[in-house]
Amino acid sequence: MTETFYQEFEVFSKRTPNAAFTHQFSLLAPNKEMALLMAQENFMRREPVVDIWVVKRADIRGMTPDEKLMLQRLDNKDYRTTKGYGYLKKKWRHYEQQMLDEKEIMSWQGGDSK
Amino acid sequence: MTETERLALASLLYQLADDDFLYAYRGSEWLGLAPHIEEDVASSSIAQDSMGHAAMYYQLLEEIGEGKADALAHVRLAHERKNSVLVERVNGPGYYMENPEYDWAYAVVRNYCYTLAKKVRIDSLKKSSYTPLAALAVKVNMELYYHLLHWQTWFTQLYQSTETARQKMDAALERVLADFGDLFDYGEASELIDEMRLIEGQGILLDRWYQALTPVLVDLNVTLPEMKMTYNGRNGEHSPDLNDALSTLGEVYLLDQSAVW
Amino acid sequence: MYDATHLFEPPVMTEEEKLERFKERIENGEKIEADDWMPDFYRDTLIKLISMHGISEIMGALPEKEWVPKAPSLRRKLGIMAKVQDEMGHGQLLLRVVEDLMKPYGKTRADLMDDLFTGRLKFHNVFHMPTRSWADAGTIGWLVDGAAIITQTNMLGASYGPYARALQRICAEEVFHAQHGESIIMALAEGTPEQKAMIQESLDEWWESLLMFFGPASKETTGTSKQDVTIAYKIRTKTNEELRQNFFTKYVPRIRSLGLIIPDPTLRFDEETGQWIYAQPDWTEFKKIIQGGGPRSKERLALRQTSYQNNAWVREALAETIG
Repeated sequence: MTETFYQEFEVFSKRTPNAAFTHQFSLLAPNKEMALLMAQENFMRREPVVDIWVVKRADIRGMTPDEKLMLQRLDNKDYRTTKGYGYLKKKWRHYEQQMLDEKEIMSWQGGDSK
Repeated sequence: MTETERLALASLLYQLADDDFLYAYRGSEWLGLAPHIEEDVASSSIAQDSMGHAAMYYQLLEEIGEGKADALAHVRLAHERKNSVLVERVNGPGYYMENPEYDWAYAVVRNYCYTLAKKVRIDSLKKSSYTPLAALAVKVNMELYYHLLHWQTWFTQLYQSTETARQKMDAALERVLADFGDLFDYGEASELIDEMRLIEGQGILLDRWYQALTPVLVDLNVTLPEMKMTYNGRNGEHSPDLNDALSTLGEVYLLDQSAVW
Repeated sequence: MYDATHLFEPPVMTEEEKLERFKERIENGEKIEADDWMPDFYRDTLIKLISMHGISEIMGALPEKEWVPKAPSLRRKLGIMAKVQDEMGHGQLLLRVVEDLMKPYGKTRADLMDDLFTGRLKFHNVFHMPTRSWADAGTIGWLVDGAAIITQTNMLGASYGPYARALQRICAEEVFHAQHGESIIMALAEGTPEQKAMIQESLDEWWESLLMFFGPASKETTGTSKQDVTIAYKIRTKTNEELRQNFFTKYVPRIRSLGLIIPDPTLRFDEETGQWIYAQPDWTEFKKIIQGGGPRSKERLALRQTSYQNNAWVREALAETIG
């Protein structure tokens, strides 16, 4: 049987206005208008959704198993993470000051700074 | 509200309730049988939403003293029903459990024309003098965005596809328009419904419907067939299709009306 | 376009090495994804299992939808409509998983439909059975879905990622199905004598089918069993018999608590062995049903096939709009 059973579309959605788009599942549809029409009721019937993207799978540049090898990196880069600067904690203690670490700095979002 | 006024309001509410009840029923007959699985799932939401709308209208009828919502939905006989004959018509020959020869073109055209009419009526009901009905209309309106986009997309895409599809759609449009005459009618209670300003006049709404539909048809190069009235469902005149529908819909409920299910 | 990757050819592995590496991944609890290397027998086992699962959901919608219009209240009509929609939705999720697995073979959803209509693709015994009464609609939601929940939760940790993720969504929705079924049965159990008689009759009719749902305990019973591969490769963890025993443990007390009598007088829990003793269902009947000889097999397949063929013009029309 040689029926064209449409094309695969990947569906992405945002749960709330502040959330990022996340991937849901894939569906078959003949074109993107139909794909969009199918998306919410197929995958998000029971959850809030404020925005949807449908993307033809054929338009996605993915990676082959071999290409994924290019994602590897050596674990020798602590010069660019806080892990490489942990020694400062002891130094600041010597000067009787608290360390401004990640936890402390991220807490500044609230607006307080003592 | 006088008793005559209450009866006029009830008449309108029955029309709205019975319309969505039968429309949802015919929609649900397509479960498992739609052209492809994703569409099966998507269109069943539309049937559910509409059954939900019917339940809201029956609830309103219960509140104005007509009886219990489930009884109103399941017990009333064909001559007591006020739905448009359009929504009671079968989806195609054959019973849905054996050899149904359902016609998707008919489903799409019926659903599109009905939903457009529903949108026009709901917009008018938002201004109803009966505030609970106006509030209900605002809620129903929210779900109509999707219903209308869904059926309009199917309608236009099928018309813009193959010659076979166009022919089937044209044939379906004839059948749908032949039953459309009673959709905007209000039946015997017309005058009082109008006086009470429950909803705007039939002519006005029909006009708005034409205005909404015409640009779509022009774009697709489709001529609207003549609108006819076969039966006036608003006055309890119905086709034999309704009897079969009602006996199925009430089959279990009528086994014991006092039982809790 | 200059492609530098050829300078980085991954070490060439023999088939045995690839298989060893694959087995390691499974043992480590890693998930296999759609575009990962997998041995043919793993792919084929998944295709067989998941296509049967997916098609069963879709065929299962048909006996249930019979009760949508007849449901005895507005709320029940809505509940069943939602449940049937979910079954089709589950079918969709699962067919998509299979379709991606079948891609290397050049097969599509149209081929799956073909396999269904020619009898090559089978579906669960329970969906070949008639639904005679409103109580049957409740029994399906409560006990058939209950049985399905037991087999499906057992696969939530499946080694094949896409299947595990689909099952996550499916199991969450099944919870509502079970409660919906329970709510129907509860109303009948607390109702009139006629309503109570309706569920007892339903249970009497469905009991054997429920036992058969889990499949035979071993190859000897019907001649085939895919249990070994599916367990060895962590698609599931329990055997058919273990799942059936779970079903007894979870459901027998609940069934009896409603005053229902299980139509197997030999059914009892043996403290010593820690096993439920019960009368075996007729496994030759099971084989016949699965092969399309059940009471409703032909009609339901015909129903699907007729509508599929009648709607061919729609798929052809939309193929024109592909873009």
